[in-house]
Amino acid sequence: MLRVLRFLQTVDRRFLYALLMLVVVTPFFINFQLPARVSTATRRLYDTIESLPEGSFVLLGVDWGAGTRGESRPHTEALIHHLMRKRLRFALLAFDPQGKKLAQNIALRLQEQYGYREGVHWVNFGYKVDQENYLKAFGPDIIGTVKQDIHGNPLGQLEVMKGIKNANDIALLLDVTGSSTYETYIQFLQGPYKLKMGLGTTSVMAPEAFNRLDAGQLVGLIPGLAGATEYERLLGIPGKGTRATNSSNAAHLLVITFILLGNLAMVMERRLRAQGGAL
Amino acid sequence: MFTPKTGAAWWGFVIGSLVLSAILVAVLQAVPQRFRRPIILTATFIGGLFYALEFFLPVAPMPTPQDPNRMGNFLTPYVVPFADTLPVIAGFTVGLGVINLFLLHGRRILKGATGWTNSLVFFIAFFLMLTFGILDKTAPEGSIPKNIYYLLQEGAYQALDATMFSIIAFYIVSAAYRAFRVRSLEATMLLITAMVVMLGQITVGQMLTNWLPEQSESFWGNFRVEVMRDWILTKANTPAVRAINFGLGVGSLAVALRIWLGLERGSYFDSQR
Repeated sequence: MLRVLRFLQTVDRRFLYALLMLVVVTPFFINFQLPARVSTATRRLYDTIESLPEGSFVLLGVDWGAGTRGESRPHTEALIHHLMRKRLRFALLAFDPQGKKLAQNIALRLQEQYGYREGVHWVNFGYKVDQENYLKAFGPDIIGTVKQDIHGNPLGQLEVMKGIKNANDIALLLDVTGSSTYETYIQFLQGPYKLKMGLGTTSVMAPEAFNRLDAGQLVGLIPGLAGATEYERLLGIPGKGTRATNSSNAAHLLVITFILLGNLAMVMERRLRAQGGAL
Repeated sequence: MFTPKTGAAWWGFVIGSLVLSAILVAVLQAVPQRFRRPIILTATFIGGLFYALEFFLPVAPMPTPQDPNRMGNFLTPYVVPFADTLPVIAGFTVGLGVINLFLLHGRRILKGATGWTNSLVFFIAFFLMLTFGILDKTAPEGSIPKNIYYLLQEGAYQALDATMFSIIAFYIVSAAYRAFRVRSLEATMLLITAMVVMLGQITVGQMLTNWLPEQSESFWGNFRVEVMRDWILTKANTPAVRAINFGLGVGSLAVALRIWLGLERGSYFDSQR
């Protein structure tokens, strides 16, 4: 008995690694959907986009790279789906070198489905450095600061930028990030211009972001993969988030199971030792 | 001067900047050691002063819907050109890093030291990305250099980046399994909190308390796992994060002031004395 209890407390990490790999990979081959409840934070962001009038201009920060692609790509895809479905104009802006290209690919892939055209309905401002100073200059004069899109077209001549001069013309600011870039957006755009702002962030960053949601600086928040799944449910488009969330569910269950087993075994061993029996 | 340049003007500015930078570095190298500190401190102070003045000078700081033409004060148009010096300086530090890596790995290969093959991989990767990264800018769509760059960037670099990040999951599982043990009251509280948040994050966890009524309908709805998770995140976690952020903000301000005014000790110059 004691040997079993000892084993449950000291399971070899390689065994855990193998199990984790199995439970993460398996759901990708079995297509199923579990009922998900939509959190208030996610619903608020969805409702905010729903409330925007057609043709409003949205700035979408895409500050993520391959490292957080698992969570950030479903966020970006779901948001672009929603923006296009609502016939909103939008601009992509990246402070991560990979974000520019990754988001561009998503927008290019989705544009045909919604009859969108780059330069007419959406634009990619490209990758920029030094977020703080860039946004400081961006707020008062968007066209003068960005100057051209990623293809080198003068921004002022693009149809998508019609009537857009400064940050006051932005109807909604969104940031999809795996880091704290949203803090800088809040400091230099959301706060000074009283913009509505939404955020899609990774699970590890979400607890910090709830602070901003509570303070009213964010109108809504998509937290991690769970948030992406919730957003896809709201849109009625089960995508990458829904698929990957099954793996996330399984991995969480594995951790919870082993934590419980380890603790249960520890408590039982203590009792056995206290009783002095079965040793 | 601070407008995008194209063609010959672009090349002229790039070569001119490089020559100017080389002269500046050479002059700084020639300056006696005792004068270097005041030069750096003065440059730091002027840099900080620019941003302080730009921020605090109260002349039409932001455009408004009523007056969209307000463009800040007379320093605001120079914020971006001034900030452009940062990537330039960062470029020099990267250059310094590259030289160090070359010296280190070059020595390893020449000596045939243990792991010299890894050093060789560094050189191959470096020159491959450098070459095809530059060629990608000018090569036409569908050309071989463009495809090779695509393979290196999307096929190798991004996949490796994602893999490195994904590996963390394995360590988290192993660490969580070993760390979350009910050894003390604090550890037990941590374990319970973690379990509630984890269960609240996943659909299966939420299904465990689906039989309870909605929060709006009954008191017992407060015990639904997703409601408890939300309470932990917004009521317990948020004040703690906010307190930490206040501390960080005050600390950052103090450090910034010390650096700006040249009061910071233990810096590079102190060790040079």
